[in-house]
Amino acid sequence: MKPIFFIFTCFLLISVTGMGFITDGYNKTQQRQLVLTFQNTIGGDKLVLGNPCKNILGENIIIEKFKYYVSNFSVIDNNGQITKLPAQYFLIDEAEPLSKNIVLTVPGASIKRICFLIGVDSIKNVSGAQTGALDPLNGMFWTWNSGYIMAKLEGTSEVSASQGHYFTYHIGGFKNEMNTTRMITLELPEKDLTANQVTITAEINQWFKGKSELKITETPVCHSPGALAMRIADNYSTMFSINALR
Amino acid sequence: MKLAKNIWVLFVIVLLATGWITVDNRYFKPRPVKFIIPRGWPQPAYDFSKNPLTEEGFALGKKLFYDGRLSKDGNFSCGSCHQQFGAFNTYDHNLSHGFNNALTTRNAPGLFNLAWQKEFMWDGGINHLDLQPLAPITAENEMAETLESVISKLSSDNQYRKLFKAAFGDETINYQRIGKAMSQFLLQLVSSNSKYDKVMRGEVSFILPEQLGYEIFQKKCTGCHAEPMFTDFTYRNTGLPLDLSVSDIGRMKITGDKNDSLKFKVPSLRNVAMTFPYGHDGRFFSLLSVFEHYRKNMVVGATTDPLLQKKISLSNFEIGQLTAFLYTLTDSTFLKDPRFAPPGFENNAKPPADIHE
Repeated sequence: MKPIFFIFTCFLLISVTGMGFITDGYNKTQQRQLVLTFQNTIGGDKLVLGNPCKNILGENIIIEKFKYYVSNFSVIDNNGQITKLPAQYFLIDEAEPLSKNIVLTVPGASIKRICFLIGVDSIKNVSGAQTGALDPLNGMFWTWNSGYIMAKLEGTSEVSASQGHYFTYHIGGFKNEMNTTRMITLELPEKDLTANQVTITAEINQWFKGKSELKITETPVCHSPGALAMRIADNYSTMFSINALR
Repeated sequence: MKLAKNIWVLFVIVLLATGWITVDNRYFKPRPVKFIIPRGWPQPAYDFSKNPLTEEGFALGKKLFYDGRLSKDGNFSCGSCHQQFGAFNTYDHNLSHGFNNALTTRNAPGLFNLAWQKEFMWDGGINHLDLQPLAPITAENEMAETLESVISKLSSDNQYRKLFKAAFGDETINYQRIGKAMSQFLLQLVSSNSKYDKVMRGEVSFILPEQLGYEIFQKKCTGCHAEPMFTDFTYRNTGLPLDLSVSDIGRMKITGDKNDSLKFKVPSLRNVAMTFPYGHDGRFFSLLSVFEHYRKNMVVGATTDPLLQKKISLSNFEIGQLTAFLYTLTDSTFLKDPRFAPPGFENNAKPPADIHE
């Protein structure tokens, strides 16, 4: 029987030291987890892929794909203290419900503002092949002109003059004056400063009438970096708000 | 006591099993390969620290390079358009053949000395060697395959799983690893043993026409085809009239800048005798037709290179000497190196008899 006792002692020792190690890690920094839920809407209604709807310009549309990257998160507390969170990249994909909840590890104190980049910073655009959310497998990478598609909106509309009445907006470009990443800053409502779950709404109508009008009738396609991509990025940089869903 | 014995035996088995896992990881030690920079050459542009060269990585990269399964119908490997005997261009083809009888719109360039290159393709659109294979694999007129399908084909092959494990430590197959392994093969395609190189190293000397050609070359060509890479990696409009059937605007497609219209990458002239036809769309079938272009047929337009505004004056005599010099850039060691040969063809690629190790 002796060996068994020895083994049990060993297990006991391992579990005790292991536990100690884990609790240590938790105590070192006061951190908590913050879940951000991205809720995509059009005209204030929950987005349903494949459902006919109308955009703010009155064009009948059916949205088939809606994906965008969010990255480079930082949080600002009541005293204006900025905490840059570790580099993480998330692909929010309407077709993948799980992708719309992201978990951040934030400082324990209350949070006044959340800042993040919509898109992928230039460094990751020039660092070769990546994995995870940035894997080229996700269909958000241009092979002929290296770089990430920061955001993608696709669907059909009877007013589109393109073949199959498609409208496809693939917004990318990371170089200098063609950089389509946009920094977003969102203020948390008073009641949510210490909340562990915050809903961020992304309103698709802002793509069509954020800072300038984007008519599918006139411009059904954007597939390369340039002035049009910059204009659309300016538009959708206004699409986020907190708790705006009815 | 029997129960105790059973538990004891089970424990030993579990212990051995966990021990095996640890041993497996700890002893994952692929054999490193040293990348040798030829004497007098600049530092490579590729960051080897992110993708250290190993025997195992090279072997996997080579297998991928020569595997037709990377294409939709299994017919087109990278090696089918990048042939070793043509310095990895498509030998004797202006354009290359792709899936479903398609043709490419540009001439497949030779592949060598890629470690010194920062941007790839004729328009420089691809900014990292690891990303380069994505373009031909997914292009409709080349290999026409999806990444998902490539990964699933490779994952179902036991041999590939073993090769990925040998190169990267576990059996995970993703594009990052495919790209890195292929880079390991491509980076080692170094061509630095032509007669020109041997002359520079003081091992042999040029014969008279080669020497005269070299002097003419230094006067009239090195403004773009700078030694020792024989390209300065810039993009220039060399006065090729626009082919309206494809209207290829070159570098402008990438930068969106009108000043880049009709500019294409300056190609290296190493192995140039083997990489005919010439030009971004392979429109020149011989060196002679290239010389004729530069001295007579150029169309000088708004973005034509400042160095070429008056074309290049070349006498027939000079063309003869230049041709003799350009032939000294052929690296037969490289063209026949069995390390780079397609699997099963290593013997055909035996080094020529005059080369002694």
